[in-house]
Amino acid sequence: MADKKVDLTTLNTVWHSLQNTCMEMRHLIDRTAQNYLIGQLHDVSVGIWTATGDTVAVPVGLPVQFLGAQFAVKEIVKKFQGNLEPGDVILTNDPYKGATGHLPDWGFFRPIFYKGELLFMTLARAHQQDTGGAFPGGYFPNAYDIHAEGVMIPPIKVWSAGRERTDVMELIWNQVRFPHGVQIDNAAMIAATKLADQRVVALLDKYGKDVVMECISDMFERTERAVRAEIGMIPDGTYAAESATDDDGTELDVPVWVRLDLTVKGDQLILDFSRSDAQRKGFVNSIYAGTYGNAIAAVCMTLDPALADYHNEGTQRAITVIAPEGSVVACKYPATVGAAPVNVGNQIMEVVLDALSKARPERAVAAWSKHRGDYVFAVDPRTGERYVRTSFDYDGSGGAVWGYDGYQGLSGLTTLGAVNRSNVEEVETRIPWRIIKWEFLTDQMGAGRWRGGPGVYWEAEHYGREAAMATGSSDGDEMLGFGALGGEPTPACRTYIKRGEETMRIRPHRMVPMKDNDVVIKFSSGGGGVGPASGRDPEMVRMDVKKELVSIKAARETYKVVIDPETLEVDRKATEELRAAK
Amino acid sequence: MKRICIDIGGTFTDCLVLDESGTLSLFKAPTTPDNPTDGLLNALQKAAQVYEQPMNAFLGDVNLLMQGTTLATNTLLTRRGAKTGLITTKNFRDVIDLRRGIRPVGVSMYNVFIPPYEPLVPRWLRLGVDERVLYDGSVLTPLNEQETREAALKLKAEGCQTVAVGFLYSYLHPEHEKRAVEIIKEVFPEAHAIASHEILPVWREFERFTTTVVSAYVEPVIARHLTNMESRLRNAGFKGSVLMILANGMVQTVNQCLGRAVTLLNSGPAAAPSGAVHLGRGIGLGNVVSVDMGGTSFDVVLVKDGVIPTTSENWVGDDRVAIKMVDVHTIGAGGGSIAWIDSLGLLRVGPGSAGADPGPACYGKGVEPTTTDADLVLGYLPHDYFLGGDIPLDVDAARRAIKKVADPLGMSVEEAAQSMFTTINHVMADQITAVLTKRGFDVRDFSMVAGGGAGPVHAAAMAQALGIPTVVVPSVAALYSAYGMFAMDIGRDYARSYISRADSLDLDKVNALYAEMEAEAYAAFADMGVAKDSVSITRSADMRYVGQFHEVEVEISAGAVSADGVKDILQAFHRQHERLFEFSMPFLKVEFSTFRLKASSPKAPFALKKIATGGKDPAAALKRRRKCIFSGTSVDTPIYDGERLLAGNVIEGPAIIEERTTTVLVPAGFRCTVDELKNYVLQQ
Repeated sequence: MADKKVDLTTLNTVWHSLQNTCMEMRHLIDRTAQNYLIGQLHDVSVGIWTATGDTVAVPVGLPVQFLGAQFAVKEIVKKFQGNLEPGDVILTNDPYKGATGHLPDWGFFRPIFYKGELLFMTLARAHQQDTGGAFPGGYFPNAYDIHAEGVMIPPIKVWSAGRERTDVMELIWNQVRFPHGVQIDNAAMIAATKLADQRVVALLDKYGKDVVMECISDMFERTERAVRAEIGMIPDGTYAAESATDDDGTELDVPVWVRLDLTVKGDQLILDFSRSDAQRKGFVNSIYAGTYGNAIAAVCMTLDPALADYHNEGTQRAITVIAPEGSVVACKYPATVGAAPVNVGNQIMEVVLDALSKARPERAVAAWSKHRGDYVFAVDPRTGERYVRTSFDYDGSGGAVWGYDGYQGLSGLTTLGAVNRSNVEEVETRIPWRIIKWEFLTDQMGAGRWRGGPGVYWEAEHYGREAAMATGSSDGDEMLGFGALGGEPTPACRTYIKRGEETMRIRPHRMVPMKDNDVVIKFSSGGGGVGPASGRDPEMVRMDVKKELVSIKAARETYKVVIDPETLEVDRKATEELRAAK
Repeated sequence: MKRICIDIGGTFTDCLVLDESGTLSLFKAPTTPDNPTDGLLNALQKAAQVYEQPMNAFLGDVNLLMQGTTLATNTLLTRRGAKTGLITTKNFRDVIDLRRGIRPVGVSMYNVFIPPYEPLVPRWLRLGVDERVLYDGSVLTPLNEQETREAALKLKAEGCQTVAVGFLYSYLHPEHEKRAVEIIKEVFPEAHAIASHEILPVWREFERFTTTVVSAYVEPVIARHLTNMESRLRNAGFKGSVLMILANGMVQTVNQCLGRAVTLLNSGPAAAPSGAVHLGRGIGLGNVVSVDMGGTSFDVVLVKDGVIPTTSENWVGDDRVAIKMVDVHTIGAGGGSIAWIDSLGLLRVGPGSAGADPGPACYGKGVEPTTTDADLVLGYLPHDYFLGGDIPLDVDAARRAIKKVADPLGMSVEEAAQSMFTTINHVMADQITAVLTKRGFDVRDFSMVAGGGAGPVHAAAMAQALGIPTVVVPSVAALYSAYGMFAMDIGRDYARSYISRADSLDLDKVNALYAEMEAEAYAAFADMGVAKDSVSITRSADMRYVGQFHEVEVEISAGAVSADGVKDILQAFHRQHERLFEFSMPFLKVEFSTFRLKASSPKAPFALKKIATGGKDPAAALKRRRKCIFSGTSVDTPIYDGERLLAGNVIEGPAIIEERTTTVLVPAGFRCTVDELKNYVLQQ
């Protein structure tokens, strides 16, 4: 801590003010958005970057939406060189010119000036209710190229010096379904960037530019040192992992592989995805910025939790992400990208966690449940209005970590628990669906010394006449999420439609026509386990049986714990014998 | 006749007596967690002694006893509530466990090394029964009474003490829950049966069920305390009425609280802002930030135009509680907050706390450096007059503790103490900014009222950091919550969900809902002997743009709601939305979701005795001088005896005022004026 220029108290204060600003931005959007994904499910990210693209504050959001946003910031600053002014807002959703993961994730960027100098960029990015294209929601599996996936907006000014460019926005809103709704959400996001501008300028007024900038670079250095020290504790070597999504939605039933060679060399981490599949015809392609964001997030999960409140540019400096252009983890125009945030975003995080769990067992994190999403587009017979239904309601749970069972009820890994479920009463009031059953499943999680959180059963009747369902955001019928250190993987997921007497299996990445009174049934997997199941404390197995999360049969066969079906007590002797027999 | 306010805290039971002359006296006794009435009676005993009366004569002369208690909060936070069962709609028994996929509030998303949430009712005590109501209130499946009976018997066999009942859409159709409660009472009469439509008759089942389960979980402990306390007070000679402080900032009779234990969460802290409002009114301050800095936590409440804000977005520990509660923002910052060095080598203070046991290092038992230790090392606290000298403070122990963080930071003990003082003040100041800006206000338009044991030492420094011009410290600051109780109104909140777009709103239905809520409110007041004409009613509605998920609460004027009235309400909604969120969209459709009513009745006013008036010069109250450190410089600082200060005295900072229970720090740049009610008004 020699030759510090800023005192620690100021450093602390400035830092936490910036983090707080992001929390306030998110709160504003959260309270005002109308889109289900933003308002209820928190499919939204906010943050602050320096004008040169260094990540300053990213406390909460979806990794794919904002941990690679420095690439977009750099693009924008380059494109508008000398042509940015206070009160400007730049919008982009372009994967190739604006480093956006997929088209629904519209990002509003605002340059923050102080005394005439561009110092920061702030961003509010969120999944829009609609982004045009062949089918609502952005997860249409069969687009010919990126243009069929929706309106593609390169970085453009939508507010100029404090005035909305209404004609431009009208052109954009005219390309989407539900323009009034999108308009509310856009207003909320722009208001959030305005709030960030006010807060950051107030901070600069109070401490002066030099002090604030010094605090930021000091924080980067401190974070980098701490992250490098953590990496230094991992034994040097190369650790490999692979994971696949069921298929690419166009070429069916052919898994798409993401492969990683993770090298630890001293205090550096190199994530090399070079062995991954080439980019696909189907919509599972990730741009480099998306791969980068997901990979960084996965690394952060395994670092000292005490660092969790700090991650910034310093973290990223210690990590190199290699992904060859033209691969499924760094695709090129005009590849389709619709499903990328889920597939292969999930696989990217899984391979990083899998490799790091091998490298550093005491920080092992198993795979989370696969996302079991879908989008249904139909007309509500009660109002005659069109609606889109999507949610995270049916998703499973978190994966186990070293020391704890998986957190129940969380959605897939790529959301890091930042998204929420809805209420039955809210869903049924809003759209023509009736939920029949929504509960945890028995034995539907990866077993382990620490088991994954439980899987979820969801059954609902649709009474909205003819409809179309896209299962582009589902995954995991065939390919399972890994268990760590001998823990079991996530079980397979299933979706069915029951129409009268007939029951049809519905695969991920498909377009499915629906009829009135169709009943949709989903079995979502729970999370993966950590450590061998036969090492689980018998008392914990007993509680799981009591909770009906684990059956007596699985207790015996998987966990090697014998439970008396009458008393639900552990038969100590029989358990010892069973465990010794192996 | 006397009035008494009692605040049963985690460590101490505070008692304030207001006698016929308008004199306030303070008494403290240790809290007795196993039976809080013991501690309460001990505190009253102390008071009786000072008034030189036998207990029954002293209590016989008290007409009103108001009580706040942390019992409900502590029971919930320490998970020591009753064994609780849940009877719910079949196929939906995991609502309180799935809990909308919510990770713990306040844990970074990058931190996954956390234990999973354990719901208050484990899965095997959550039993589904056949019944189903639809979104429009119609019945798809009638309640299966046989299954309900079997479920109740099963929970009885499991040894539950209390049963929560939560069915889907019970806010529209409460009959199934009502019938289930009847069945439980029939087959399992010794259980407390708590139904969700009674606790929170509004939509969204997760929030309604979890709030109901929390209520059921704390009910037996609360019911036991309330009945025991009331009967022991009666036996001891008390003939007046007991009123309980509710989470929503109002008070209610003991009877009204039975069966609604969740409303006693935060009872105590919820009273503090009423004191701030009362003070503010007396001094002529419109907008007030009430801060209460105790041993472990720092509470902020924002009072705009004399209105105490409430919210239904509450978390108590890891549990969601959706009743209306005073919008108290709490963080772990207090006298006992521990200083530590984090993974980046930065000094942090809190949220960890040394609490009351072992307490700050200077109390003699603890070894961790705390805020109080820093305050002592800096000279702000007297080592020989803390709580009037009841607790001698050990300066050497404080220095030894602080050295633990000073050494690795390469600082002297004094530098580290200064840094701790500044750090904790900034943590608290940030919290104040967050609370204000969330509501769209500028902090500089507010005055600060500071209470709590540690508040008066830190208030001025926080105000300085925030640019708040005026800080008021009441001389009863240490018993801040108890003081607030004197100023509270009697009353309750009511709510009914009716989801409808503004353009198709059924006005008859709205007016019927309000009539129903009013009748309920008047009946409750009649039970307390309060006449209809002294009940004041305010109404509001939760509204949003069609499609939004969160509502904005908009006030509605009295009288029948008419079509023109709806237009005014819509205008008010757009304005409120703009103010809170920086935008509004008057061209969009708006919908109503929940109609609310608040019924209150002011208690008899109270007057405090004025102190003698003197000149500006406070020299007569100068007690001594002491070296204090301000911004790294040692300053010979005058110390005034608070008990001897007179109204009109003006003290220029830097200075310190010592009272038995409170130490007020007046930093350089502040001028402190003593007013006739013995408030210290600090201005910069």
